[in-house]
Amino acid sequence: MKQSTYKVRDIAGKLAKGFLHNPLTPILGAFLLIIGYISLEIMPREEDPQISVSGGTIIVPMPGASPREIENIIVNPLERKLREIKGIEHIYGIAMDNVGVVNVMYYIGEDRQAANQNLYDKVFQHMDEFPKGAMQPLIKPFDVDIDIPIMGITFYKKDGSNIADIELFKVVREIQQELNRIEDVSKTEIKGGKKEQYNIEVDLGKLSGYHLSMGQIVQALKALAVDVPDVKGRTQENKLVIFGVKNAIESIRDVENLIVAQYMGSPIYLKNIATITDGTDIQNFKSVEITHRKEKRFSPLEDAVTLTLGKLAGANAVVIANEVKEKMEQFRPKLEKMGISYSITRDYGKRANDAVNELVDHILITIVIISIMLVFFLGWKESLIVTFTVPAILAITLFIAYLSGQTINRITLFAFLLSLGLLVDAAIIVIENIHRHLHSHDAVDKSLDEIMVEATDEIGAPTNIATLAIILTMVPMAFVGGMMGQFMKPIPANVPVALVASLIVAYIFTPYLGRRLLKKIKMHHHQHHWQKDQAKEEGGTQ
Amino acid sequence: MKKFEQFIFGILGSSSKQWLVILLTLVALAASVMMLPTKIVLAKMLPGKSANTYSIYIHTPTASSVEQTRQVAQCVVGYLQKENEVTDTEVYLGQGAPLDYAGLVKGSAFKNSENEAEIVVNLTDKHEREEPSFMMVHRLRPTIKTNCEAIVPGTVIEMIEQPAGPPTLASVVAEIYGRNYENLYKLSQKIAAIFKKTDGLVDINIMADDPYMKFELIPNSDKISRSGLSVEQVNNILYLAFEGMVVAHKNSKNYPDQIGLFVRLSDKTRRLRDHSRKALETKLASLKLMNQKGMLVPVNEIVDIREVPASPTLMQKELRRMINVTAETDLVSQVYPLLDAREKIMNELAKQYKIETTDYLFNLRLTDKKTGEVFDLKWDGEMKVTLDTFRDLGAAFIAALILIFLLLVVYYKNFTISGIVLAGSFLSIIGVIVGHWVADLVTEHTFFLTATSLIGFIALMGISSRNSLLLIDFAKALMVEKGFDKQHAIAVASATRAKPIMLTAIAIILGSALLASDPIFGGLGVALISGTVAAVIVSLIFIPVLMYRAKAMDFKPEESDA
Repeated sequence: MKQSTYKVRDIAGKLAKGFLHNPLTPILGAFLLIIGYISLEIMPREEDPQISVSGGTIIVPMPGASPREIENIIVNPLERKLREIKGIEHIYGIAMDNVGVVNVMYYIGEDRQAANQNLYDKVFQHMDEFPKGAMQPLIKPFDVDIDIPIMGITFYKKDGSNIADIELFKVVREIQQELNRIEDVSKTEIKGGKKEQYNIEVDLGKLSGYHLSMGQIVQALKALAVDVPDVKGRTQENKLVIFGVKNAIESIRDVENLIVAQYMGSPIYLKNIATITDGTDIQNFKSVEITHRKEKRFSPLEDAVTLTLGKLAGANAVVIANEVKEKMEQFRPKLEKMGISYSITRDYGKRANDAVNELVDHILITIVIISIMLVFFLGWKESLIVTFTVPAILAITLFIAYLSGQTINRITLFAFLLSLGLLVDAAIIVIENIHRHLHSHDAVDKSLDEIMVEATDEIGAPTNIATLAIILTMVPMAFVGGMMGQFMKPIPANVPVALVASLIVAYIFTPYLGRRLLKKIKMHHHQHHWQKDQAKEEGGTQ
Repeated sequence: MKKFEQFIFGILGSSSKQWLVILLTLVALAASVMMLPTKIVLAKMLPGKSANTYSIYIHTPTASSVEQTRQVAQCVVGYLQKENEVTDTEVYLGQGAPLDYAGLVKGSAFKNSENEAEIVVNLTDKHEREEPSFMMVHRLRPTIKTNCEAIVPGTVIEMIEQPAGPPTLASVVAEIYGRNYENLYKLSQKIAAIFKKTDGLVDINIMADDPYMKFELIPNSDKISRSGLSVEQVNNILYLAFEGMVVAHKNSKNYPDQIGLFVRLSDKTRRLRDHSRKALETKLASLKLMNQKGMLVPVNEIVDIREVPASPTLMQKELRRMINVTAETDLVSQVYPLLDAREKIMNELAKQYKIETTDYLFNLRLTDKKTGEVFDLKWDGEMKVTLDTFRDLGAAFIAALILIFLLLVVYYKNFTISGIVLAGSFLSIIGVIVGHWVADLVTEHTFFLTATSLIGFIALMGISSRNSLLLIDFAKALMVEKGFDKQHAIAVASATRAKPIMLTAIAIILGSALLASDPIFGGLGVALISGTVAAVIVSLIFIPVLMYRAKAMDFKPEESDA
């Protein structure tokens, strides 16, 4: 092969020349595709990107105080103190009967750990300034990742099943324990659970009939339900003898037969003045009800219990959801036997997977469309070369996104789709120039290698500058503030990476593949009237 | 290609044709930009997103019982059960549903009262369903609201859709600040009434306690101490009798939690005959307390009963007392109803208040003409996020322009050429706006200019500057290396670069075609497609004219290199 006479000017030409005959080039290509595929599979999937919102709630109960009092003596001083913390965007104060609440929102992007720490410090430093009668303040920092559950499972009784509410709650509690063991599951919560409780409903009429007051009943009950720790007695040989008083309430009968007072010499049992039931917490007004489709009709609203599961930040929602569903399938026969059915009423894992798969499909379809278009304009071999570069570029971008701890979500893939139109450009420009050089009439005088390097190098400088220009347009987007800025972050984070990758891939692989797939056209002079050549003649005559 | 070359050559040859091109471009620019203020193209932060679920929030008036709230919820569920696409529905009474993005900022987690309920509606998969969830909400909203809100007067039902982007408290939030709570509440009612009259605003809610009457029991300390009782005892027994208390616990071996012993009056004897002072007095007469001597004293003898308005919950933001009036929008952008409502506020409240505009674009200050009391009205919610986002994206856009300009100056070492490239890039805005107008014409729903459209536009800047760059570079090379004259070099460059410019443009158009059908990224897709078309036309016709007219493009052939 004769020595190339073309002097390489640009990084494009250098890359093209360096990799044109390097045996590692195909290996590098295969390697890129493999790491890209692995990244796609193992990167955590989510529907929406993580927005780090820091903030917290401070709750100060003060029984018996009116809203105006609370506002003056709790909310206002607390708010003033919190103003001293740097980085707080909004402070909301709520003064209600008996309780004051202050919500704090930090600026988006504030360090969560430090923000929470500041909040605790500020409140506890001023503990002594809280008014008399105020109870210990409660500080609850909030965390989007942990607080928003990704799964919701609603349990309800099957038709004709007579399982008690309490039994249902107990079963759900057991399942909660089981599911909480799954890796990366963080916070689990039960809504609509009914706790067991002995309800003592006193009849007001009978109360006055027997000449009793509510206070006497309370005292009698308190006296009965005493738990004392076991007593350690000793024998004369210094051996321990352990004995203890058994809790007097073993069943509902013990409560019923409690003697509240004596009336005219005969004892008054609790059952004489009250109905006592082993029931659920009737004072709890919160409940959950479900109606679901059965064939064509809906079941009527019925009591239900919802178990929700959250995940740790950065964990893969899809994997967790699948594992939960698998576990639930294992429980199903046992639950059926007990007369319990369940529906999965929230599944962010599936949503994330659907959203991701849909966008991946879109990307694939788009690649196919573009390659078909190129077949018409450039020829099938050229089209094949460009089509190869796309997965290679995406693979590099995905891998870098994975390394930088990002997740695959709607916005990341959106960034890919956005860059798709841009990142084939470099390859198209290179291949078009190679194509033009191969077809130009001075091609006969040059070796194939030389044409590849020269064609790549020629458009290197303007392509670099143009790509840099596009990257520059993306950079300011990283400084968009607020929630929206956080939400869009994957765009300025990934598009520039994809563009740089597109340049490198175009300069390395396009000439390499072109060298192997494309051939010089057997040229007869003036068969092709390329404007350049023709113009030269015309330009010369003017 | 030859024809195109001659076409460009022709334009460059005649000064009047050049001016015609420049004039046409400027007219197109002006016409397209005018589409924004004339509302031919509407702006919104993010369009609705079809989801497989949505929520319905029910707020019955502040002192409503959970039974009343349940009644309203049952009514709503009744309508949902008639829907074919609903798979299941969960009602969370007295509490918020499991937290989601929308609930996070709407305070779902803090709901803990008898007058609140949330309903979660799960639908069939959106791919197998014809009606998008936002259309379903739009269709059901009037039916549900007219029929179910009437059950308990004063009820507000909100239909909450999954946000497409970051969640906000509501589409439109008017924060009203003032010192005196009563006057503040009156003003917020007036604002809410104006919102109700404004087209496009729905689910109007005043985020404050509804005023209600309560009975205050005033302990007569004289009588209490004479009958050997204490105020604390009175409080405790009243609470125990009507609310009930867990007075003791039983530990259980075979149950995860302790079992409480709960004491309360029985349902039958606890209830009052009706909502009146008399009924309360009668009930209290039969409830007796025991004093130290073992004598029973009826409660009504030691307290005086008075009916007073309940003191409402007080809200503050940034240390100022505030009431929020919120509203959602129904399929429309929140920008225009908000401006409407603002207009109405300025007209209708002008009699009573002196109204002036304050700092942030649309905010108002109302001064009571009689008392001189000052109220501030600030817009928050999606409106503020939209303004902030558009402002930030606008700044990002300008920053991008400056960065590109500097880059080009570094590359060409010339301001004029850099200016030409920049002008060409900016003109793609014609395509973006016209594209949205066309998209709005051909689609069923309103097609908004959204934040994603702006992102598309910013990306386009780079793309179209690339076209101009390649063109200028090529023409320069022709002049310097091949010794072409200016007119010819530009015409040839345009024709030669036409193919790769078209190719990359087609790649972008095809690449964005699928985006255009996406509800959220549609704006971006349309912006890229139509903007690219405009960019191609601009860079192949307008840019050559500018290049020709620019003195900076006079390159001398390098004799040594030729």
